[in-house]
Amino acid sequence: MIYIITALMLEASPIIGYFKLKRDMTINSYPVFVNKEIALIVSGIGKVKSAMAATFLISKYRLTGSDVLVNIGFCGAQAGKYPLGTLLLINKVTDWDTGKDYYPDVYIGDDLPKESVACCSKPVGDNGNQYEGNLFDMESAGIMEAAYKFFNTQQIAIIKIVSDFLTPENLDKQVLRSYINTNIPILERILNELKQLNSMVTSLNFEDEKKLISLISQNLRLTSAMKQILETEVRNAKRKGLKTVETLESHLESKANTKLEGKKIFGQIIKDIKQQTF
Amino acid sequence: MDKSLKISSSRLFNAIYIEEEAFEYPITKEIIKSHPNSPIIKIRHYKDLFNRPKQNFGIQKHNQSLILAVKENNFLYKGPEVCQNFGHANFYYTSFLLNCIFDCEYCYLQGMYPSANLVAFVNTEHYKSAIKDAASNEPIFLAASYDTDLIAFHNVIPYMDYFYDFFKANTDIVAEVRTKSGNQSFYRCHEPLENIIIAFTLSPQDIINKFERHTPSLETRIKAIRTAISQGYKIRICLDPIFINPETDSLYEPFFRYIFEKINPDDIWDLGYGFFRMSRDFFKRIETKNNSWLFAQDYSHYNDVVSYPLEIQNEIKSKHIDIISKYIEKERIFAL
Repeated sequence: MIYIITALMLEASPIIGYFKLKRDMTINSYPVFVNKEIALIVSGIGKVKSAMAATFLISKYRLTGSDVLVNIGFCGAQAGKYPLGTLLLINKVTDWDTGKDYYPDVYIGDDLPKESVACCSKPVGDNGNQYEGNLFDMESAGIMEAAYKFFNTQQIAIIKIVSDFLTPENLDKQVLRSYINTNIPILERILNELKQLNSMVTSLNFEDEKKLISLISQNLRLTSAMKQILETEVRNAKRKGLKTVETLESHLESKANTKLEGKKIFGQIIKDIKQQTF
Repeated sequence: MDKSLKISSSRLFNAIYIEEEAFEYPITKEIIKSHPNSPIIKIRHYKDLFNRPKQNFGIQKHNQSLILAVKENNFLYKGPEVCQNFGHANFYYTSFLLNCIFDCEYCYLQGMYPSANLVAFVNTEHYKSAIKDAASNEPIFLAASYDTDLIAFHNVIPYMDYFYDFFKANTDIVAEVRTKSGNQSFYRCHEPLENIIIAFTLSPQDIINKFERHTPSLETRIKAIRTAISQGYKIRICLDPIFINPETDSLYEPFFRYIFEKINPDDIWDLGYGFFRMSRDFFKRIETKNNSWLFAQDYSHYNDVVSYPLEIQNEIKSKHIDIISKYIEKERIFAL
């Protein structure tokens, strides 16, 4: 799943349209838009709101190792380095209030510019000189704080589009929307690269074995500790490339009326799995 | 992880992170100059990045970033018991570089560090003072390339060039530089020193194919050894780690014979021999996140070290040492 957080509906609407997202009417606290692959939430402005929205969205789903969390939004920039509408990948976020730095690992968008962003609590205008750095936003630190809790560092992407040269009071909505629209093909590419990268992180598929272990544990009245031992042994056998499902299935019919009986059969299962491994 | 996880292909490093304090050091300036296409990211302290929670070692390993940092303290450590001291009472090791460019499946670094990114310390003069202090009362044996491979990294940061004159001037320090690299430039550019030992880790080619990703072939390593010998360097052969497994047991005897067909045993300073072993803590950390067959085997634990049962080790060791000692006398064989 791709979780997208934007601060404004203005930032979200071109994405909603392009990816044909539908409003999830079961959720009232936030505007959330979804399709099979994407869930987008509009958080409101500021790092506290972005952290809350990210956490809320993540809690609605069962996270997997291949999910990604993406923040897409506007940022102000010091004039000179990047033209308006430029899309940038962020490799460092500094919370200007706390001084804390966050580092998403950026392995995507090889050809795209990478930059640091300072996350501020107030819009940065002509007071921009008091900050070090080129880019300023108001949400990235909140997203990173939530993301560090729930995601691996390569599952996070902070994507910023330059909206103004520190003149936040003079923004035209139509122009801003066009910046997002123009960058949609790049955005789609980034999302695909992120998906591809994280799908490569293959974990051992242990779902079938887990179900069988659960059934056997019930049938044999195994304690949690015994179940844990069984899981470890089966996992090791699987990593050695052995047929774990078959061994477990051969014990599926075994039943125990007492814990002692269960313990005996448990010993036999462990023995079978271990014997198989030599 | 069975697919290539390399995403960026146009640069050696995915990014270069530089501590604020490190910018003024010559190594940093050289790295910035020689890697113009890598994004440079200023950081406060390397641990802010290196010790982040929830990093994926596998993906980082295939897309390594370089972190340039200033080491503040603990410039050298007492040698651990799981490592060989080759008869030296004062055994220390030091790490100018954390992590390695090679990707050995059995490597303990995956359990030791939370990140696969490389940390290169740029304040080499501080290391020199600390090493000199440690050797002020009595000679020391210094493993200089333990948690990394300095020779393999030589073309990026030539630490051995930076330390050559220091070792030349401080003969109370015997430095071992352990490597799997085929890079010969250091041996070709510097006269050998009495107190520098180049320690080559060798494994049967099938083991290299199976467990030592991105490392040079046995043939390439042997070529590098021959060059280093021809230049007059003291060479240590490290047959470590040895694996005990029905699939690999038969590889070793022909491998030992092959080495000494290619290298004159009289040209070898000494030889180290050791089985696959690892601190229990590191093993546990790796076991939970690594699907490797290697970490699913049944091992014994003793003194918080995971390895093969001692009686099997002794049996295999005696068989192997019998063969090796036909080429090199037992006094020059150091077995753990």
